[in-house]
Amino acid sequence: MAADLSAQIISSVKDAHASEQSLVISGQGSKSAWLPDAVIGAGGSLDVTGHSGIQAYQPEELVITARAGTSLEEINAVLAAEGQMLACDPPRFQPTQADGVVGDNAGGTLGGVVATGLSGPGRPWSGAVRDAILGVELVNGKGEYLKFGGQVMKNVAGYDVSRLQAGAWGNLGVLASISIRVHPVWQDQCTLVFQMSAEQAQQKCLRLAQQNLPLQGSCWQDGVLSLRLGGHASGVAGAKLALSGEVLQGGIDLEYWANLRDHKADFFQQQLSSQMPGAKKIWRLVVPSAAPLPGSWLNADDLLIEWGGGLRWLRHDDDAAVVAYAKSVGGWCWAKGELMPIDPVQGRYMSELKRAFDPKNIFLSPMALKQTLQQHQQTGPQYAD
Amino acid sequence: MNPITKNHTAVLQHLQRTLPAECLITDGAGLRPYETDGLTAIREMPWVVVLPETEAQVVDVMTICREHGVPVIPRGAGTGLSGGARPHKDGVVLGLSKMNKILSIDPENRVAKVQPGVRNLAISNAAKPHGLYYAPDPSSQIACSIGGNVAENAGGVHCLKYGLTVHNVLGVRVLTSDGDVMEIGGALYDNPGLDMLALLCGSEGMLGIVTQVTVALLPEPEKKSVILAGFKQVTDAGNAVASIIGAGIIPAGMEMMDKLAVQAAEQFAHAGYPLDAAAILIIELDGAEAELSAVTAQVIDHLNASGAYQIDQADDAETQARLWKGRKSAFPAVGRLSPDYICMDGTIPRHQLANVLTQIDELSERFGLAVANVFHAADGNLHPLILFDANVPGQTDHAMAMGGEILQCCVAAGGTVTGEHGIGVEKLDTMCVQFTSDELDQFFRIKDAMDPSGVLNPGKGIPTLTRCGELGGMHVHKGRLPFPELERF
Repeated sequence: MAADLSAQIISSVKDAHASEQSLVISGQGSKSAWLPDAVIGAGGSLDVTGHSGIQAYQPEELVITARAGTSLEEINAVLAAEGQMLACDPPRFQPTQADGVVGDNAGGTLGGVVATGLSGPGRPWSGAVRDAILGVELVNGKGEYLKFGGQVMKNVAGYDVSRLQAGAWGNLGVLASISIRVHPVWQDQCTLVFQMSAEQAQQKCLRLAQQNLPLQGSCWQDGVLSLRLGGHASGVAGAKLALSGEVLQGGIDLEYWANLRDHKADFFQQQLSSQMPGAKKIWRLVVPSAAPLPGSWLNADDLLIEWGGGLRWLRHDDDAAVVAYAKSVGGWCWAKGELMPIDPVQGRYMSELKRAFDPKNIFLSPMALKQTLQQHQQTGPQYAD
Repeated sequence: MNPITKNHTAVLQHLQRTLPAECLITDGAGLRPYETDGLTAIREMPWVVVLPETEAQVVDVMTICREHGVPVIPRGAGTGLSGGARPHKDGVVLGLSKMNKILSIDPENRVAKVQPGVRNLAISNAAKPHGLYYAPDPSSQIACSIGGNVAENAGGVHCLKYGLTVHNVLGVRVLTSDGDVMEIGGALYDNPGLDMLALLCGSEGMLGIVTQVTVALLPEPEKKSVILAGFKQVTDAGNAVASIIGAGIIPAGMEMMDKLAVQAAEQFAHAGYPLDAAAILIIELDGAEAELSAVTAQVIDHLNASGAYQIDQADDAETQARLWKGRKSAFPAVGRLSPDYICMDGTIPRHQLANVLTQIDELSERFGLAVANVFHAADGNLHPLILFDANVPGQTDHAMAMGGEILQCCVAAGGTVTGEHGIGVEKLDTMCVQFTSDELDQFFRIKDAMDPSGVLNPGKGIPTLTRCGELGGMHVHKGRLPFPELERF
């Protein structure tokens, strides 16, 4: 099903540029639940799923190049056949029913992975999406087809426009082709579980982070800390011995981490009923790993901690309490399905950067930049000029 | 020194009113060291250098320069290899070397917060008592500063496993030319909005002035192992690299040297390299003791299978240092073979190595100039050293022209014109080989978004469309390498 639709994408963008028509760039819609309804409804959809196909892959080069619409499923299968994987292990969310695309193609596209920049449970140990980007080809807001970076690891020619696309949520252009670093699969892996409180889990994770251990994931929830080990068999065996703990076996462990990564775990699924009155929002908090845990204002079962303490999911209905907590510990927070808050001064420069790529402001995104707020005449969470 | 113009005088008076006297250099002898950075072939005598001690003073300097419309040329330790810190005839050199305090080491969050003038190696030294270190290790790490590392997105020999500066810097405080101070990132694994931190890394001081850096610290490896392997054919060495990586092993470092480089290095450093080898590999493995011996044995199997005829393994620090010494002194060693050389900095996909080396051989023959090749094999970063004699009329240009053709080969092979040394002023012209006019124009619009007054390091990094032409490289005269005491790899 590989097809090069770049000519059509360029032409759509040029039309939108000429008529100043807003566009929502979309893939399989697997992450659309993260976009505010106001954004989704505000522009025409530019579907890039047809622009797909793997363009280059040589396993010993540790890089794969594919068109942005290529499904994550296809990429994962091709990599797995060569004993490799995407190091950042990005989430494979399922599209909501309303978006219609469910089934074989579910789980997102490579373009969506890069545009949203969301990393999986291994982020502290194997890097983020942005860390793995080596090059992109994109169509900017004027309809120009531009290439930045390449397929090599070391490249300091020009500004790092490719890495800037990771987590840009399509603000700067339509990703057409992406070169992303891949990594050998772990020779062995195992999951250890420990019954302990959130505080004990945090202390344990902080201590372990200072040692040579093949850690690949951590999650605390409901009084249980799960640690994922992965790497060379001898290293995993050594670490397993050193850490003791109960071993999760028989594939339960694989399912556990996949459900966590893809938000199929119950903790995240409860938001499906978010339309109901009084439902709690799901908040994503990125904070320093050693930052104090939330106090008694939060029920313990509304907290899930990943990334050795650095990523905390909260379910809560009091926006002010969550925002104040994130701020007090030097982190930031974002509620699923709402505008992403941006610091006012940084927001000014980001808005200028967006204008540098998309002068007519045709690409819509969930970021609370000047352009987004003007588009919807909303008073954004934290943007003020 | 440039003549002092009316505007210079006005700027100078304004600076003198605002900054303590010890923060200003205006005398010829004091200015001399600032006329060049590590790229000594390109010089411009500055008329003033300011060395602020606080962020507030940096803001003052920026304000003054913006008001008078004069360029600001940020400078770290001056070890850069592409002329990124070359002074501007109308500009103020803003040296950040006095801002050299380590503000905090936070072992729990595994980060260090430092001022931009702190030396790269000083961070690891400060973190050592906690069993932690800062991973990127550019060859100039005893002298280069972290602010400069951010500006150039500095690399080193351990990039495949541990990444470049951009992968290891978690936050910066940055001053824009408009006078805004932004705190981007911190001890955080990601940040809201566009990734300006990634954009700033490698931006060569053209988008903002970094006044504080938060870097990630890693636990020191429990153990290291270094392996030296000699090959009769360059292609065998290349195949060994592919076979090791293809087997899912990510070495901490993997370096290749060709025959001429090996001979020069051995003569200089007595590292025990096989002089009859067409190429050698130096491989460093590190990690937990539990897995290191198993992985080392695997690597040795791959080397044997690829036709290595000599393999030495070093597990003790002293022997490891000896094996590394030859590689790390390859540049000055080559400098002894020839009155002058230029160092290129292309990156290529690893599988193109044999192809590109063959083309370099052909170019060497066509131009009549010898080339020694040292190669960060793990990440595809090739440093061909072109030997020539600047005293022979026309030979400098001849060597430069050959360097340009080598970089064109790198681009044609799917690579890039600079892996880790940066564009600066040196490689402005080669940027035209790699980018279209629309792409260059996009770069300029980025610059304009971050630095609307255009005072930050103008004329660096991105060529104007009118200037595509000649090509350049790091020029070394009579073995006098800039910072000869530094290891160069």
